[in-house]
Order: sequence, then C-alpha cells, then structure tokens
Amino acid sequence: MNLDWAWIQRNLAMIGNLLVDHIILSVLPVLIALVISLPLGFLVFKTKRVANVILAFLGVIYSIPSLALFVMMPLILGTKILNPVNIVVALAIYSIALLVRSVVDGLRSVPASVKQSATAVGYGWLRRLFRVELPLAMPVIYAGLRVVTVSSIALVSVAVLIGSGALGKLFDLGFGSFFYTPIIVGLVLMLALALVADALILLIQRGTLPWFRKRRTA
Amino acid sequence: MNIFSYLTDPANWEGPAGIWNLLLQQLAYTAASVAIAAVIAIPLGIFIGHTGRGSFLVIGVSNAARAIPTLGLLVLVVLLLGTGVGPIIGVLAVLALPPILTATAAGIHGADPEAVHAGRALGLSERQVVSKVEWPLALPLVISGLRSSTLQVVATATVAAYSSGEGLGRLLITGNATRDYPQMFAGAFMVAVLAVVLDILLGGVGWLASRHASPGRRTSRSRGASPRGETIDQPA
Amino acid sequence: MKIKQSLLGVSLGIAGLLLAACGGSSNPLSDASSPQPSQSGSASGAQGAPVVVGSADFTESKILAEIYSQALKAKGVDSSTKLGIGSREIYIKALQDGSISAVPEYTGNLLLNFDANATATTADEVEKSLPAVLPQGIKVLKASPAVDQDVYVVTKDFSAKNGITSLEDLKKIASTSTLGGPPELEKRAYGPPGLEKIYGAKFKAFVPYAKYPPKISDLDSNKIQVATFFTTDAVISEKGYVQLEDPQSMILPQNVIPLVRSDVADNADAVAALDAVQAALTTDDLVQLDKKVDSERQDPAQVAGEWLKSKGLA
Repeated sequence: MNLDWAWIQRNLAMIGNLLVDHIILSVLPVLIALVISLPLGFLVFKTKRVANVILAFLGVIYSIPSLALFVMMPLILGTKILNPVNIVVALAIYSIALLVRSVVDGLRSVPASVKQSATAVGYGWLRRLFRVELPLAMPVIYAGLRVVTVSSIALVSVAVLIGSGALGKLFDLGFGSFFYTPIIVGLVLMLALALVADALILLIQRGTLPWFRKRRTA
Repeated sequence: MNIFSYLTDPANWEGPAGIWNLLLQQLAYTAASVAIAAVIAIPLGIFIGHTGRGSFLVIGVSNAARAIPTLGLLVLVVLLLGTGVGPIIGVLAVLALPPILTATAAGIHGADPEAVHAGRALGLSERQVVSKVEWPLALPLVISGLRSSTLQVVATATVAAYSSGEGLGRLLITGNATRDYPQMFAGAFMVAVLAVVLDILLGGVGWLASRHASPGRRTSRSRGASPRGETIDQPA
Repeated sequence: MKIKQSLLGVSLGIAGLLLAACGGSSNPLSDASSPQPSQSGSASGAQGAPVVVGSADFTESKILAEIYSQALKAKGVDSSTKLGIGSREIYIKALQDGSISAVPEYTGNLLLNFDANATATTADEVEKSLPAVLPQGIKVLKASPAVDQDVYVVTKDFSAKNGITSLEDLKKIASTSTLGGPPELEKRAYGPPGLEKIYGAKFKAFVPYAKYPPKISDLDSNKIQVATFFTTDAVISEKGYVQLEDPQSMILPQNVIPLVRSDVADNADAVAALDAVQAALTTDDLVQLDKKVDSERQDPAQVAGEWLKSKGLA
C-alpha cells in the first residue's frame, strides 16, 4: 500500500528526532548570520563605493545553488561530507549574503532629514545609530530575517542528496519505497515549521517596533 | 587529492553522461521551465499590477513558495506522474512562477504614476497605457524576476537528477555513491559556474533594460526597492 | 560602474574558491561517520564492548543487520545497529576504522570487491577464496545457504519481442539500448565493464538510479530496456520481469555472510549467535522478510525480531 497513516505512529521517535535536527540545522545558521550581519552590514553601509563591490560579491555567493555550496564546504572547512557543520556554515553564508543587503538597504532608507534632526538635537553618531537609524532600519531587516529563516528551513532538506538533510530523509525514505506517507509528513512538518517561524518573527517585530504598522504590504 | 581531477580529464566531458551533455540538459530544463512560467506569470502579473485586483494573492504565493522544499515536491510529483520530462518541467515551472509573478505585478503597479497619468491624459487607451507606458517602466523589475526565477530553477534542476539522472546533479549523486569526491566537486563546481554566469548575464540584461527604460531617472531605485529587493527568493 | 564592481566581486569569489581548493588535501568522503575517528575500534565487541552492526541502504541489508544485532543481544552480547550507511565502498571503510564492527555481506560481490580477477565460480569456491583477499583485521564468518543475487531483467514484452532470455542475448540489442542500475554499478566488475568484457554487450548509455520507483517506472515505459535488481525483490514477481540467465557466471553466487572485525570473530558467544542465524536463514525467508518491509511497510527491527522468535533464536 502506498499510504499508511499508522506508519506515523510506529515511527514517532524517528520523526521527532529528525524534526529536532531540522530545527537546529535551520535556526542556528540564521542566528549566526544575524549576529554577523548587523555589524558587517553597518560597516558596508559606511563605505560608499567599496560597499557596492562587497554587495556584488555577496550577490555572487547568493546565486550559487545551496547543494553546490554544501558539497564545496568540505573543501573550505576541511570537514567530512556528512558533517552537519557543512550545512550550518553554508546556510549561514547565504543568510549573511542576504541580511547584509537588508541591513544596508534598511540603513540607506533612513531619511537624511531625520538623521540631521537627531544630530541637531545633540545625538552623537553612536547614539543616533542605536536610537534612530537602526530602529528605522529594522522593518527592512526583519523582512530579510523572515526570508532567510523560511528559506533555510526549506534548504536543509536538499542535503539529503549527500546523506544528511534532517526531515528531508523522510522524502528519501518515501521515494525509495513508493510510500507517500513519509513524504507528506515531511512536507507538512516543514511547512508548519516555516509558518511558525515566520509568525514568531512577525510577533517579535510587532513587539519591538510598535510604531510600525502594516503600511508596506511586503 | 586533486579536487579538479574529474574536471580536467577530457574523457569525462564527452559522451551521453559527460559534463557537456549534463550541462546542456540542465540548461534545457531551465530554459523550458522559465519560459513556460513566464508565459503564464507575465500576463497574470500585468493584470494584477494594472488593476490592483488579486494583489493579496501575489504576496501570499511568493511567501509560501519560499517555504516549499523542492525535493519533497519533486519526489511527490515523480511518484504520482512518473519520471518523464513533462512532470519534471511541470514542477520546475511551478517553482519558477512566483518570482516572475511578483516582479511583474510590482513593476506594473509601481510604474511612475505621473507617466501613467500623462499617458491617459494624452488619450491612450488602457491597453496602450499598459503596453506603451507601464510595461517599459516595469521591464527592469520583470527581468530581475526572471533572473531570480532562473536561479531558482537551475538550483532545483540540480536536485531533479535525484529522480531522473539527468543534469549536473547526476555527478553529485554518482560521486556520493561511489565516494568519488572529485566527481562530486565537478558537479558542484559546474552548477555554481552555471548559476553565476546566468546571474551575471541576466543582471547585465536588466541593467541595459533599466538604462533604456528611463535614462537619467532610475525608476527602480526611486521606488525604494533595490532591483532584487522585491523578488528575493533563495535558489534551492 | 555596477558591472566593474560585479566582476570584481565575482573574481574575488572565484579566487577564494580556488585558493581553498589548493588547500584541500584530505578526502571529505573518506570517513563514513564523521565524528568518530577511532583507530582501535571502540565498537569491537571484545570484552563486552557493544557490537555495532551496520547496513547498506537497501531493505534486506537493514533487516539482516537487525537480525544479527538482536541475535547477539539474545545470546548476551551487547549490540546496536547503524542502518543505511551507504554502498559497499562506504561501509567497508566504516568497518575498517571501527565505527561499525559487523555488517551483513554477500560472498560473490565481496570477493570481487577485493579481487576483481577472482576465478572462483561456485558458492563453495567463492566462500573459500574470501579469507585470503580480506584486508587486515577483517574476517568473515560462516556463509548461509540463503542467496540474493544481482540480476539483470527485462520486461516480459521486451523479452518476447527481442528474444532476450540470457545475458548472451544482450549483445543483439545493447548498442541501441539503455541500462539502468544503482550508481555504483557503473564501474563494478559485474556491471557494464563485465557485460562488455564477458558478453560483448556495450550499452548505448547507463542511467544511475539511487531508488527503485523511477527505475521501475522507466523500465515499464521503455525509457530504459534493461535494469538490475536483486533476486529477492518482490517487484520482479509482481511485474513479471524476465530474469536473464548468466551462463558464464559473471555474477558470482551471493550467499549471505557476516563480515566482522577480528575482535568479533574472536568472541565465541558472538560467533555462536551469528552462526546459528546463518544456518537457519533461507532464501525464501529473505523474500518474505523483504516483502513485509517493502510492500507492507513494516519495521525492519520488528520483522527481524519476529523471524528470530519463529526460529527459536531469540
């Protein structure tokens, strides 16, 4: 038979383990990327012309398909192919490539008049950065954060082709035995994970940026 | 161990399983899927962008599409419909659609309102407003959507080898099964090169289009969105 | 301006990759289980250390691994399993570096793996030739009468239409046909190289299939004309595929045999447990067990346990 819901019951432990693996493999890179992208993005924003070179470089990295990057990681890191570090680092690099751009765009979107007013009132550059520029840039950064989080969750499963992939292993299992149940379970869990993560970030955004209501639709 | 040993052996480039052939297969799948997606998404995007109806659909679709694990979808479709070229292009086209749709709708919708009003004031019919005013202004964004879409498809086509054995992904799978890292690297390297080259080519086309669309006035920038801003979709 | 900067960015990227490539000297595929570089074999089974039984990716291997492991436990030898490691090339390395200490194997292909020019042809000859070719520290225990061969098949229609019933017949149609099999088959002695050397059949193309469903689907729709399976696979009888004869014994007899590290071979209890399993196992058992897992979606560990109970071994 190609569909057997009782299979889920028999394999709850395995499914649970894969889910936990998946969460770790997708959330860790995003957290790492966030920590790195904020200061890095700020630095890039400060350097006007070099900024474009860096952004172009990051754009190139971003265009490399994730599977290719997973396979090339052992080369750069000296790890073995099954090592989960490959996935975490590769996804972190992607997320940085996107988030740095978000940080730069966000900072660039702060109107000059607002910055001048802050200076006029007596804010030093550091205080202005943290009290004025960054908060105003946050909506764009949050948008980027939601994109990289949802993307990472989906991309972890691609690593199945090289032997890892967390919940993606359910696709492998189902495909190998002409068995739909694991595939559906994998899809549902991943989509649910993405939904929850996206909603969580949105909630945090609403909580930390109370003045920003839904004026932009994306 | 020489990482490049598989790439530098000329025997690996010829024949039905040679790198050249696999590369061409991947390109063919990509071109076909993006073309099919464009044929559907561009007219739909123009309609949504111009009339403003269904814009919620566009946002929802593009956000949801990012969350789809392409391998899962591929595997499901292949089990249901078989490994033919048709089902695989079908899946790829479905994945290629959202970026093009979003970009087209955004481009048409965001076309400089002054130009649109001027067009109407001059007596242009609605159809002419779209074709002569909105479309040229939207073109750079549409091309950026095609660019995102192409990257997404190239990446997914790599994964498609899992079910069909075609395309550069085959080198990754066979290399992994036979512990031949140079072969895996060859596959990964060629996929990366393909993606980067396509990205730069389409980036260049987009740049030319934006120069042509509004010389002296950079429309896409003035909207506050960078050319890729609206259509950020991670290629798989 | 943008183009110049893009090109600069790209060149930096490529330079980075190339630099990294020059630095990479160790093979990322050389260790099946990354965090465990143990040399002495922490999973050796000596002095009460658990025997870790590994398996390949396919169902039967997983079932056998479970049977071995549970049989060991029943005889008081601590054991665990590590299923689905990958192809032979991968799990042999795992065996050698100690991340697993036993794995169910098949006599013929095992022999060919270490001695591609082996001349043994009968089951006995193959079993006797094994100890001599195995690397240091690895031994085989007793072979079982249970057999599971690689087999080349064609569809009933294709066989009838082209008169193909044996590997000898393949040279008639090979140049216009495509062969499908697991990725690792492409270079193996009983794969395309063997077909060409022994039967004079050179196929137009080889398509690697990591999984059965697309292979079955493509065979049925004539996208490929010849495919390889295992003789115990349920799909052969379900679909009525014609198994091609092998008059020149290109494919050696494949009796199930445990491949173990020396310390497991020195452990009398472990050997006794596994020998008992081997004696009790029949080809029909393999067919039934495979069907339970593949067609009925039962759990390998469960069906292994039931089989052992039915034979009084657990």
